Amino acid sequence: MKVLIVDDQPANQVMLSGLIKRFGHQVRCASNGIEAIDVFSGLEPDVVLLDVMMPIMDGFETAPCLKALSGDVHLPILFITALDDQETLLKCLEAGGDDFISVPFEPVVLQAKLNAHARVRELSHSLKGKNEALAYHSNRMEREQNVVSHMLANALQENETQYPFLKTYLAPASEFNGDLVLTKAGPLGNFYLFVGDFTGHGLAPATGALPVSQTFFDLADKGLSIANMVEEFNRKLVKLLPDDMFCAAFVAELSANGERLTYWNGGIPDALLINEAGQVEKRLAPEHMALGILPPEEFSSQVSHCFVEKGIRLITYTDGVVEMTNQDDQRLSENGFEELLRRYACKRDFDGLVTALQKFQQGQEQFDDVSLVCLDCAPTNLPVISPDTNVTHLPFRLVVYLKEDEIRGRDPIIKLVDSLSHLEGIRAHKTTLYLLLAEAFNNTLEHSFLQLDSEIKQTGQGFDEYYRAREERLAELEGVEIEIDIEYRPKSSLLSFSLSSNSENGFNESVNDTEEDESLAFGRGLQLIRNFSSHVEWRDNGRCLYIEYDLSLPSA
Amino acid sequence: MSVSRDFSNDDKQLVIAIKGKFDFSLVQEFRQAYSHIGDSQPTVIIDLRETDYLDSSALGMLLNMRKSLGSSVKGIQLVNAKPDVRRILDISRFDKMFVIA
Repeated sequence: MKVLIVDDQPANQVMLSGLIKRFGHQVRCASNGIEAIDVFSGLEPDVVLLDVMMPIMDGFETAPCLKALSGDVHLPILFITALDDQETLLKCLEAGGDDFISVPFEPVVLQAKLNAHARVRELSHSLKGKNEALAYHSNRMEREQNVVSHMLANALQENETQYPFLKTYLAPASEFNGDLVLTKAGPLGNFYLFVGDFTGHGLAPATGALPVSQTFFDLADKGLSIANMVEEFNRKLVKLLPDDMFCAAFVAELSANGERLTYWNGGIPDALLINEAGQVEKRLAPEHMALGILPPEEFSSQVSHCFVEKGIRLITYTDGVVEMTNQDDQRLSENGFEELLRRYACKRDFDGLVTALQKFQQGQEQFDDVSLVCLDCAPTNLPVISPDTNVTHLPFRLVVYLKEDEIRGRDPIIKLVDSLSHLEGIRAHKTTLYLLLAEAFNNTLEHSFLQLDSEIKQTGQGFDEYYRAREERLAELEGVEIEIDIEYRPKSSLLSFSLSSNSENGFNESVNDTEEDESLAFGRGLQLIRNFSSHVEWRDNGRCLYIEYDLSLPSA
Repeated sequence: MSVSRDFSNDDKQLVIAIKGKFDFSLVQEFRQAYSHIGDSQPTVIIDLRETDYLDSSALGMLLNMRKSLGSSVKGIQLVNAKPDVRRILDISRFDKMFVIA
C-alpha cells in the first residue's frame, strides 16, 4: 500500500512515516496541499493522511482536489486532527474526509484504520474494472445488434407489404421481433403469406428470420407450392435451431383469381375466414406441429384447400394478440378478439381494430410480440411474370440426326428443347417449342415408322394399348433416320423446323387430319401444331414436315 | 416423383401435382394418382405450377381421367398453369370440360 502524508509539522511527518513504514507500506510526505497535488500523480497513493491546518493550502481545500485527481476510484482520506472539536470534524467530512486520526497516534488503531480503508479502495478498484468490462460488453453488444438489425433489414427488403388487399399490424415486445410476417407475389399472379412466431422474443428468435425469409422469397419467386415451402422451412430450421427453439407458422397461398386458398397451419392460433359482417365462417385450425421440431421423415407438409367467396377475408394472428392483458390483468382471449372483429370488420376498419387492441392493453407492459394480418380474398390483380423475351441476334442452324438408339433412349425432344432454351430469349418459348417438336416428332415416329393407329386411343383402355404397342414396336425398330433441321433467322424472327425421315410412308393428310373435336382423346396433335405455328406444310410427298414459329409473338 | 397425390386434411380435395414434363411417359403414374379416391366425392385439383412441358398425349390423359372419374368426383380443376401451358389448354378448349383456374 502507498500512503501519502500531508502535514506541515516535521515531527508528525517523522512519527507517522516511521510507524507506517514499520507496517510494511510505502510512504511519501508533503508539507502542504500544493506539494501534495504535485506528488499525487507520480505516486498514485492508496490512502492519504491529511492535516487540517497548514499555512499553504489547508486540508479542507486540498481534500476535494485529491479526490478529483483520483478519478473514478475511491481515495480514502484520513484527516489528522484533534477529536474534541466537533465543528472541525464536521467540516472535514464535508470536504470529503473518510475518517480521522489524532495525536498521539495509536499504532494499533492506525494500522487497523489503514487496512480497513485499503479494503474499501480495493473494492472500488475492482468495481471500476467490472464497470469497464461491462461498458465494453455493452458497446460490443450494441454493435453486434446493429449488425444483426442491418442484416435483418436487408433480408426483409424484398418483403413488400404494400398491397391493396393486405393489412398488417406488427408490434414487437422488444427491439427484435420474434414474430415474422412475410409476403410475396408469385409469378402467376398468386400471392404468398407467411406468419411465424418463434419461441421467445428478442435477438435469438429474430435471427431465425434470416433463413426463413430467404427461403420464402426464393420459393415464392419460383411459384412453388405451400407444401414444398413448409418442407423446406422445416428442413432448414431443424438443422439450424437448438432443440428448445421452434417456429409456429401459418403459410398460405391465394390464387390469382382470389378464389382458392391453400394453407398449412403449424401451431398458430386458428386463422379465421370472416364474412362482410365480420362473422367467422370457417376456422383454419392448426393441424401440424410447429416448424423446426420434427425431422424431415416425420414432418407432414399436408396442406388444406378451401374455395373462398368474394368478400371473405382471412384473419391470422400470433398468440400475442389474444394473450395481451388489460389493466385488470384480464386476457383479451379469442372471444374478446372475435367480438372486436365483428365490431370493426363489418366497416372494414382495420385501423379501428388496431386502435382498439392498443387501447385494451394501454399502460400494460407487452410481454409477447403481436402480429395481425388481414387478407382480402379477391382477385389479386398482380402481374403474371413472363420470362425475358429478348431474342438472340445471331442467325443459326442446327441439324440433329436421330437413329433408333437415340429414339429408344430418353426423350430426345426434351433434350433438344433444353439445349435450345440456353439461347437468349428462347427459354421464354420452351413450352410451345416443346409442344411443336414433340407433336411433329411423335407423329412421324408413330405413324410413319411404328404404324400405330390413332383411333385406338379413343378409350382409356385403348390409350394404354396404344402406348404399350408403341413401346413394343419401338424396341424392334431398325434402320430409322429422323432428321430435325432447326434454323433461326433474326431478321424475320422466325425459327423453323424441318422434320424428315427415311420412311417409305409419307404422311397422308386426308386420313390423319381429323376434324376438331374437343372430346377426342387423340388427333389433336396436328391441330395444335397449326394453332401454335405461323406456317406449316408437308414437303417431299409427306416425308418432311416443315414448321415456322414466330419468336416475336408474345410467348403467351 | 413427377406425379404427386395428396388428399387435403378434410378429404374434400385431391391434389395431383405434375412436375416437369407431362406426357404419355406418365400414363401409369397419372392413372394411379386418381385411382382409389373413395366415396367422399372430392374435387380433383390438378396442380400444374411445376409443369413446364405438355403435349397432346397429356391432353388425352386428362380427358381419360375425366371420363373415368365421372360422377365419383365433385369436379376437376386445372390450376396454376403457367401462361404457355394455359394457352395450350385454352386453344384446345379445355375450359369446356374442366374448370381452369
